Amino acid sequence: MEDRHVVTFGPALRLAGHLLLGLLCIVTLLPMLLVVGTAFKPVDEIYSISPWPVRPTLENFARIFEGSFAIYLWNSFGTTVLRVTGQVVIAILAAYAFARWEFRGRDVLFACVLGALMVPHTLTMIPIYLMIAELGWFDTWTALIVPNLAFPFGVFLLRQHMLALPKELLEAAAVDGAGPFKALWSIVIPNLGPAIAGLVIVAVIETWNEYFWPLLVTDSDRMRTIQLGIRRFLESDGGENYGPLMAGVTVASLPVLILFFILQRRVMQTFVSSGIK
Amino acid sequence: MAELALARQLRRSDLARGGVSLWIRSGRPYLYLAPFIIVLGAFTFWPLLQTLLLSFQAWNLNPDVPSRFVGFDNYRGVVSSSLFGAALANTALYLLAAIPLKVILPIPVAIFIWSLGQRGEAYRVIVFLPTLISFVAASVAWVWLLSPLGGYLALWLETFGIRMAGLLTNADTALWTILGIATWKGFGFNVLLYLAGLTRIDRSLIEAMRIDGATDARIVRDLIVPMLGPSIVLVLITTVIFTMQQVFTPIDVLTKGGPANSTTNLFYMTYQYTFVGFNVGFGAAATVILCALVFLVAFVKFRIADRLVHYTD
Repeated sequence: MEDRHVVTFGPALRLAGHLLLGLLCIVTLLPMLLVVGTAFKPVDEIYSISPWPVRPTLENFARIFEGSFAIYLWNSFGTTVLRVTGQVVIAILAAYAFARWEFRGRDVLFACVLGALMVPHTLTMIPIYLMIAELGWFDTWTALIVPNLAFPFGVFLLRQHMLALPKELLEAAAVDGAGPFKALWSIVIPNLGPAIAGLVIVAVIETWNEYFWPLLVTDSDRMRTIQLGIRRFLESDGGENYGPLMAGVTVASLPVLILFFILQRRVMQTFVSSGIK
Repeated sequence: MAELALARQLRRSDLARGGVSLWIRSGRPYLYLAPFIIVLGAFTFWPLLQTLLLSFQAWNLNPDVPSRFVGFDNYRGVVSSSLFGAALANTALYLLAAIPLKVILPIPVAIFIWSLGQRGEAYRVIVFLPTLISFVAASVAWVWLLSPLGGYLALWLETFGIRMAGLLTNADTALWTILGIATWKGFGFNVLLYLAGLTRIDRSLIEAMRIDGATDARIVRDLIVPMLGPSIVLVLITTVIFTMQQVFTPIDVLTKGGPANSTTNLFYMTYQYTFVGFNVGFGAAATVILCALVFLVAFVKFRIADRLVHYTD
């Protein structure tokens, strides 16, 4: 249906459009290509203006992995997996309660979910910093994971999808004598596959790319995530070593880009709902 | 409302089954909600309350020094400080510049991509890519591209005999540079939001106009742009929120608010007060002021989002 061209501009407008979009694509892609190109350049080519290496090398990547980048990647990978798993499980349970039952305080609690959507970490940083220290969580995976397990956007999105499920599905389950948890597990969740998948990917991207939270609650080199890692590298010896620095940027960005190319459409749809929320 | 009817119906079927006591059943929703509410309460709402309390105290973040109650002194101090003035002015500048760059310019881009139908897919994907790259990675990449010392652009200009200026170390250009990087990163997301709005336009209306002999230009002007109205408002508000919050990272990575407070904004200011100046009271008071502002924007957004739902139904 989408490939029907209801508006087809005349040739002049179309040419102008392609020129504008072409320019936009160059502005978008050129910095990325330069970064990747430089990541593969040997030391003596770093200051050449050729976008591509004449003799491509992996030495920049070897250099950053001799440093702490393997630890950074492991921290990012481990905390992302654990945090997103927790976020999604907790969001499914909460969304189910909101979508399935009427109960006292429901609307007030849901208003809290909507309100929390608007509260970025910056607004809670001072007490969070003190709490994390008091709990003895400072500079641990626990601090990176636990305080973020409530994912208001996830509850919001999944509740909407649950409300959109055909009533007959749940009624049939009730007739079969399935309790609420059984109905959730065997009927609701399988029917929400695409929505949950989209949510997982958006949560993974958000967590992987996060900067402020790990900046606030971690300190030592062995607890740094990849995003903090490239930043610290920029401030230390990476500031003049553009080859390894760009290798770091490439490594930090690659996992999300790969995920995106595997699951493109789903990612874009969920991003749209995160903007419309 | 449909959702209430569904909930009622389900509850009736629950009741009809019997077996489990009513008491357990009435507690059940809370059981499912408990993990979420506990974490949200402990790590979002409780800290918000704490921030409010801290905003009336003077404290330097040192656990050995007790805090002192100072009433509204922190608020007075923040509002009259030069940092607040600079942050407010810069925030206004970031927002004003974001409107033509991130709210208006994506409209023709989205309409053109939309008019290509399925053939516009490649454009759509490419334009979206920077959304996926972290602000840290993007900032670090741009540091290299723009560095006057061996940066890519500097090398390039050198071949023409031009010396590259340090855009990020000059108070006149630093804010615009950050704004450019933020636009590079955020443009595609807004294009995507407009594309979602465009798919909701009823195609029979376009066909009706075409039968009446309307040109493409007229269809765009008299139908598509007006129909995008709600999307434009939505993108505007999303951009206001994102521009305020998300430039925190490029500011911290690229300039730390400097030179001479020329790039700081309201969000970064709260961080500067607390973790650079160790003035917790000022930081908390600034956060409370900012909170009020954020909730005002959020309130407007929800009102409009509500109206949007009615439009599209």
